[in-house]
Amino acid sequence: MFVLKNAWKSVTRNKGRNILISIIVIIIAAAATIGLAIQQAAIKARDTGLENTTITAQIGIDRSQMLSAAKDAMQSASSTSSSSDSSSSSSDSKPDFDSMRDALNTDALTLTDYQEYADSSSSVKSTYYTETTSLAETDDFQPVEDSTSSAFSSSSSSSSSSSSSDSSSSDSSADMKGGMGGGDMGGGMGMTTSGDFSLVGFSSDEALANAPNGTFTMVEGQAFDYTASDDNDVIISQELADFNNISVGDTITLENANDSGTTYTFTVVGIYKNSSTTSTGSFGPMSSTSSDPANAIYTSVATLQKIGLSSDDTVEATTNSGDTMKTAAATLSFTYVFADEDAYNQFVKDVEAAGLPDNYTVSSTDIETYENSLIPLNNLASFAKTLLWIVLAVGAVILIVLTLFNIRERKYEIGVLTAIGVRKSKVAAQFTLELLIVTMIGLVIGTGIGAAVSQPVSNSLLSSQVSAQETSASNQQAQFGRDMMQPGDMGGSSSTDSTDSSSSSSSDSSASTDANSSGQSSTDTTNSAPSQPTNTPGGFQQVTNYVSSVNATVNLTVVGLMLLIGIGLTLVSALVAVIFVMRYEPLQILADRS
Amino acid sequence: MSEHENINDLAPIEQPPTAAGLDILKLEKVSYAYTKGGKKVIKDISYDFETGKVYAITGPSGAGKTTLLSLISGLTTPTEGRVIYDGHDLAKLNRYDYRSHDIGVIFQSFNLLPGLTVAENIELSMNASGMKYEAPKREIVMDLLAEVHLPEEYANERILHLSGGEQQRVAIARALSYDPKIIVADEPTGNLDLTTQDDIIHIFQELAHEQDRCVIIVTHSPAVAKASDVVFELAPLRHSVPKRQGAGVRRAGKAAPKSATAGRASARVDAAPAARKAPGRTARQ
Repeated sequence: MFVLKNAWKSVTRNKGRNILISIIVIIIAAAATIGLAIQQAAIKARDTGLENTTITAQIGIDRSQMLSAAKDAMQSASSTSSSSDSSSSSSDSKPDFDSMRDALNTDALTLTDYQEYADSSSSVKSTYYTETTSLAETDDFQPVEDSTSSAFSSSSSSSSSSSSSDSSSSDSSADMKGGMGGGDMGGGMGMTTSGDFSLVGFSSDEALANAPNGTFTMVEGQAFDYTASDDNDVIISQELADFNNISVGDTITLENANDSGTTYTFTVVGIYKNSSTTSTGSFGPMSSTSSDPANAIYTSVATLQKIGLSSDDTVEATTNSGDTMKTAAATLSFTYVFADEDAYNQFVKDVEAAGLPDNYTVSSTDIETYENSLIPLNNLASFAKTLLWIVLAVGAVILIVLTLFNIRERKYEIGVLTAIGVRKSKVAAQFTLELLIVTMIGLVIGTGIGAAVSQPVSNSLLSSQVSAQETSASNQQAQFGRDMMQPGDMGGSSSTDSTDSSSSSSSDSSASTDANSSGQSSTDTTNSAPSQPTNTPGGFQQVTNYVSSVNATVNLTVVGLMLLIGIGLTLVSALVAVIFVMRYEPLQILADRS
Repeated sequence: MSEHENINDLAPIEQPPTAAGLDILKLEKVSYAYTKGGKKVIKDISYDFETGKVYAITGPSGAGKTTLLSLISGLTTPTEGRVIYDGHDLAKLNRYDYRSHDIGVIFQSFNLLPGLTVAENIELSMNASGMKYEAPKREIVMDLLAEVHLPEEYANERILHLSGGEQQRVAIARALSYDPKIIVADEPTGNLDLTTQDDIIHIFQELAHEQDRCVIIVTHSPAVAKASDVVFELAPLRHSVPKRQGAGVRRAGKAAPKSATAGRASARVDAAPAARKAPGRTARQ
């Protein structure tokens, strides 16, 4: 009580000095609060962003690894190779594309493989898959296309956004028709879809809900059934229906893309309308009509199997160089669904244990895109962390120096107090308490200021981070004339949806989706524009909606941390005072007869 | 003396006066060296201090007066020998408690806190002692100010604004605030004019004779020494030694043991200190 009273009296008596200390503490506390709030928000965004979202993942092939393996194998056998053909005859140094494709093709996983991996892990919530094949137009059923579109574009974006489909789709489709996009395997440029329509078979409603062209709504009729394999039911897009004047109940006839003699007849049971156009950018001169979402015909896997165009079936394809190759009739895109990120991570481990070859990787576009959207926030968080440490270090040094001067100045007081019989520990406690009172006042004010400004400050910092990110992307654009290659096996035209804490994996890209705004650390995403609009000649683009707004509200955790920091800083600097007091001998005051 | 009536009024509870001549503090063959094994500043001093008397410790500079004061006031412990307060070895007592309860020290440089007011300085000591007071502290402060002949309006004056003599009075008032049995003063009249000096000595005499305290004054001043009951000569110097009939202790260690005890009987002690003893504020304890 004596100590407390004395400390309080001393604090009120030395206003000037204590106000100075308070101001310093206020600055430190405000900066530290902002830093902590940003960090907390970033952590929360990372943790909760995918919390209630089911995660989908695919197994993809690390194609560069495979290709280099295939190349090695070929080179060793090049002298006796029978696969060298006219396509590579012009130059010996030219890659042997067919062998390459062959190598890729043989390694592609089959439906059974995918299902085995699904069974190997208990964390898989569900699975679904789509198979995509292409069909050619007939006289009475034509694809939607404008005059600039070329049906036989050499290189186009795949209609599928799934990354795992790249490997197999490029193989099969490249062989069918059209030029091969050189050795551009990594970026998805090599994906070629031919034909006029893409016929997509879905395994379940879940697959349908996650249609490669984005979500859609039924305009007329209803979706097909998955079990009834004999009725050849399809649903077509509204554009296609309007273009061909088709209504529900009509039948359409389509040709096999590889074999003009074979035709298929389907019954249109529904007409859908894409609520979003995910695969945009396919209107350039290089895109094909089949990659136009309007030309996607949806059906069940059962139907595909029935007409013999499923991924298990093979077709004889003739390349433009005259070779005939057997390839899978359809591109398989198998998707695993997980309840949360942990299950996904478990699955990655499980399939590895189940013997997934090294050249296959499990990837989740949900997680990747979400993490991409967090790049600016993460940058900001690491910046905030650095700031926090610097502020704390500088603050600690300043506080210690101030305390040291303070104590030296009050040496006489210490001597008097100890001489009149106040215990040193009490004197030390008094000095500590004084410092604590002052720093706590500063801390409260500083935290208050920090809390008030942390939201606008962190948002403006974040937006500058986002624009920096975009600038680097557009620099890339200017340098390369196209978007930056996405690492890994991102699909050609992958439109990265903004993923925020509440949006599902199939959230539309164009809409700015507001997350659960009531949440503590909700992250809003705005449609931060892609670096290049839709008619990029390359035909693919990257739309990443960066998390550009963060709820850096100061919550109890931050306040608690601030309290800890404040007490910690105070105690560290008070330690100086304590040491000083403890070393002081009251006798010195008598010896010091001034 | 008029102030005393005031004090008595405000300290209603009276206690029987303590028996005169109580050996409150004893030095037993005390020696002190600042460094271990170094030169001894004080060597083998034995002396008894009683309540109800004013002692003057004299001696030239460097004779160890201040050191002795430090030992008595518990600021340091002797290298050899013992300081016994009220039957207890000071080295074994908590010297902080001793300083804050049992002994009032008036330092030569007063050692008041300049930033505080007179009242705050006094109250600081009262609070430091951790004792309970029956009267409000403010009232006690006023009584003390009256006792040291300071006007009441000085209570809220900062120490900085006070003269040396006034500061001296405040220092005395502070030393008295927790009602210690022993008052130690280091050169209390050092730089004071004669009138003030006389007044201060008077106050000390009152403290000893009327309130039955043991007042120990370290001084150079012959006037102070004269006014005190017992003079304790520290150095083997001049004629002052025989005058006090062996009260002096030879620093060289040649002094006869127990000489201090002998001095007590014949010292020029006031005739009947106990008879005139004021009731004091011992009740506050």
